[in-house]
Amino acid sequence: MPNSPLVIENLTFQYRTRPELAIEAISFDLEPGEMLLIAGSSGCGKTTLARCINGLIPRSYGGKRQGRVLLHGKDVAEMQIAEVAQVVGTLLQDPERQIVASNVYNEIAFGPENLGLPRDEILARVEKAMKRLNIEYLRDRETFNLSGGEKQKVALAGVLTMNPSILLLDEPLASLDPASAYEALDVFRSLADEGKTVVLIEHRVEDAISAKPDRLLYMEDGHVKYLGPIHDLPKEIDHHQVKLPAQWVVDRVKAADETVKAVSRPEARERGEALVVFDDVDFRYNDESPLILQNVDLEIRRGDLIAILGPNGAGKSTLVKHAIGLLKPTRGHVLVEGHDTRKISVAQIARTLGYVFQSPTHMLYAPTVREELEFGPKNLHYEQAVIEKAVAESVSTVNLSGLEEYPPLGLSFGQQKRTTIAAVLAMQSKIMIMDEPTAGQDFANYTRFMDALCRPVNGSQSIVSANFAATLFITHDLDLAVTYANRVLLFGDKHIVADGPPEEVLKDVDLLLKYRVRPTSLLHLNLELLPRTGQFLPAEALAAFA
Amino acid sequence: MLVTWKYRPRNTFVQRLDPRTRLIFMVCIIFALTIPEIWDYRIVLPLFFVSLTLYLLARIEWKDVRRAWLYISILVFFIVGLNGLLSGRGGPSSVTNLPSPVLFEVPFVIPGTDWGWMVPVTVSKLWFALNQMTRMITMAILAIPIPYTMDPNIYGTAFRRMGASDKVSFTMDLAFRFLPTFARDLTITMDAQRARGYEMDKLKGGIAGRIRRLAPLIIPVVMQSTVTGEEVIDAMDLRAFGTSQRTWLKELHYAPRDYMLLGLGAAIFITCCVLKWGFGIGGFFVPDFFTQFVVR
Repeated sequence: MPNSPLVIENLTFQYRTRPELAIEAISFDLEPGEMLLIAGSSGCGKTTLARCINGLIPRSYGGKRQGRVLLHGKDVAEMQIAEVAQVVGTLLQDPERQIVASNVYNEIAFGPENLGLPRDEILARVEKAMKRLNIEYLRDRETFNLSGGEKQKVALAGVLTMNPSILLLDEPLASLDPASAYEALDVFRSLADEGKTVVLIEHRVEDAISAKPDRLLYMEDGHVKYLGPIHDLPKEIDHHQVKLPAQWVVDRVKAADETVKAVSRPEARERGEALVVFDDVDFRYNDESPLILQNVDLEIRRGDLIAILGPNGAGKSTLVKHAIGLLKPTRGHVLVEGHDTRKISVAQIARTLGYVFQSPTHMLYAPTVREELEFGPKNLHYEQAVIEKAVAESVSTVNLSGLEEYPPLGLSFGQQKRTTIAAVLAMQSKIMIMDEPTAGQDFANYTRFMDALCRPVNGSQSIVSANFAATLFITHDLDLAVTYANRVLLFGDKHIVADGPPEEVLKDVDLLLKYRVRPTSLLHLNLELLPRTGQFLPAEALAAFA
Repeated sequence: MLVTWKYRPRNTFVQRLDPRTRLIFMVCIIFALTIPEIWDYRIVLPLFFVSLTLYLLARIEWKDVRRAWLYISILVFFIVGLNGLLSGRGGPSSVTNLPSPVLFEVPFVIPGTDWGWMVPVTVSKLWFALNQMTRMITMAILAIPIPYTMDPNIYGTAFRRMGASDKVSFTMDLAFRFLPTFARDLTITMDAQRARGYEMDKLKGGIAGRIRRLAPLIIPVVMQSTVTGEEVIDAMDLRAFGTSQRTWLKELHYAPRDYMLLGLGAAIFITCCVLKWGFGIGGFFVPDFFTQFVVR
């Protein structure tokens, strides 16, 4: 196919620092207007493949490369980066990593400016890209003040101004709320319809299929395991590795005749006394800024496993930062075990409430995992014997045994996440709060991570039940609320708009849509089967009822 | 992601100036004070009032610059001022060796011993300290309003139009935004560590111990900065930065007010050089009224 925009011939790559091949013998080609979905779990080689396509391999990442990547018949390895950038437009996983300018207009113009194009040509391209994505209203905004969805569109506009014939989208949905993700998928589809060749890398196959990709390339261990139409997905593709629609999972479980173990949903727990109370709380950063929280009333009780849902920028993190005392209410009170957070220090509250921040790199610092875990208990002046016991238990609980003397910053992302949980466990707080616990992890890893935390094992309590009186997590992923929570808070319009068991809160689909929470196939299937199941269940467990 | 300073447009004389004018004028004042080494209060004070006038014309709110003033004050009063008062070499002795009346002596004793010495504070050192602080503030008050009153979108353009290369200009653009980004990361890390019971105001031990106990803040922030730097490089590579001569979309134009201020800046610099090197005016001396005032 000499005129194909993208041809990959027997491509193999091994990073200089790694003993194993990252990808091996990959071959495929794409036509104009074709959309290819590339799926697979972390380490399967999809990011390496992307770097081979956009030229970062071999320019920025050294190693041994065999085979060819041809862009309109020309080998990437023989092209200048400026030449590649005009053929392949890359949208990175997190738009924050891609945006370099401080203002939207400058950001969109950045690529053509670098190409040294005439001024009029740049202006025309910028206007066209903004119009194409309906973001003309953002032209004068500062980039760091945009919402996640807006940042994504601005980053995409910046790519489109380079007039690429191929769009390489590397997990573009990861940092978006569900409604923004679906809007983005619509845009990707329409760009393919206009003739762009689109390579969409995404492990959330369920979401990506709404963009109607023409083919799916599924990778495992650096190899192509499947390449073909998406609806003919062979049964051997592991539904634990990529997120498939709930009905597909059910069909696979049934076809494989898997015996689903007893319903493995987190145990229902007796609700006890209120540990944290929000009493008519208002909050604004200063006199001139708008209210972020308004009339918030909330009780976190013993036994709660709460998922907080809501759109990006609604104030979910602001809400939970009040519980730990990092922010103080402008009006009203927040009480932690009866103490007003205005009158006690954050360190005092930390004995009751442990907070796991979204990004591990914002908190990990120690030379070893052991010292990292000792940091909190030492700050709280626990006795040495108590600290050693707490650290040993937390290491074993989150399965970090053997890594105690490793530097936390040298661990994998998933291990770093577990280290942050262990750090809170070691503080022996009563409540754990996690801000986007699955952010930055792929489906297989975050499912393992959440299962390890929230699922009871062999009849014994789950980690969170055994160690915390209550747990609360903020998430964009509705399925986490369906699968793991026993209480859901829907946050929007500066206050809590719905609060109750998942089966009650999540049945109001219109309300969810109003607050940009898009119902998933798992929720729909659960709602359909609720009369028989009596409670929400994970997709595999639904096979017994479907 | 890099963030910007708390800039907002204001309809002021200073904001209507071309950014190059402001940068060049600031350089003129700094060079006028430092290259011919002006220490004469009769020149330093007028320059201070010129700078102060421009600062006031920026009409910047106190709450925006409160923290910047705090850091500048610490630097100027405690480091520059005390250094001038208490040190010999590198301080006043660099500009004067005049004999001067001793006002009082400050004892320096090595902790835990009786060893030590007395540091005399002289009239000359006191005048030097006041003079040095005035010179520093004269330069600083031109720089303080820049982040709050100069559009962050034209940092790079301003340097490019002053003749810097594409790479240097964009580096300056990124560098301007580094500090607020660092501050944002520091706030997040501070919150994360406070949630683990870390209390910065309760740091104990000697200087080395205190610095060591800052590691939970410093290491994550430095790591974050490194990661951000790498991300910015990848993002710029993918959009062909540095591969050819760049077109800078923003255009800058000098107005008459810019030429006036540039003329003033150049006149100040030339006048200072001529006074010092041509007429020997502008060097360090202690005025009689000051000696009489403090010795009385």
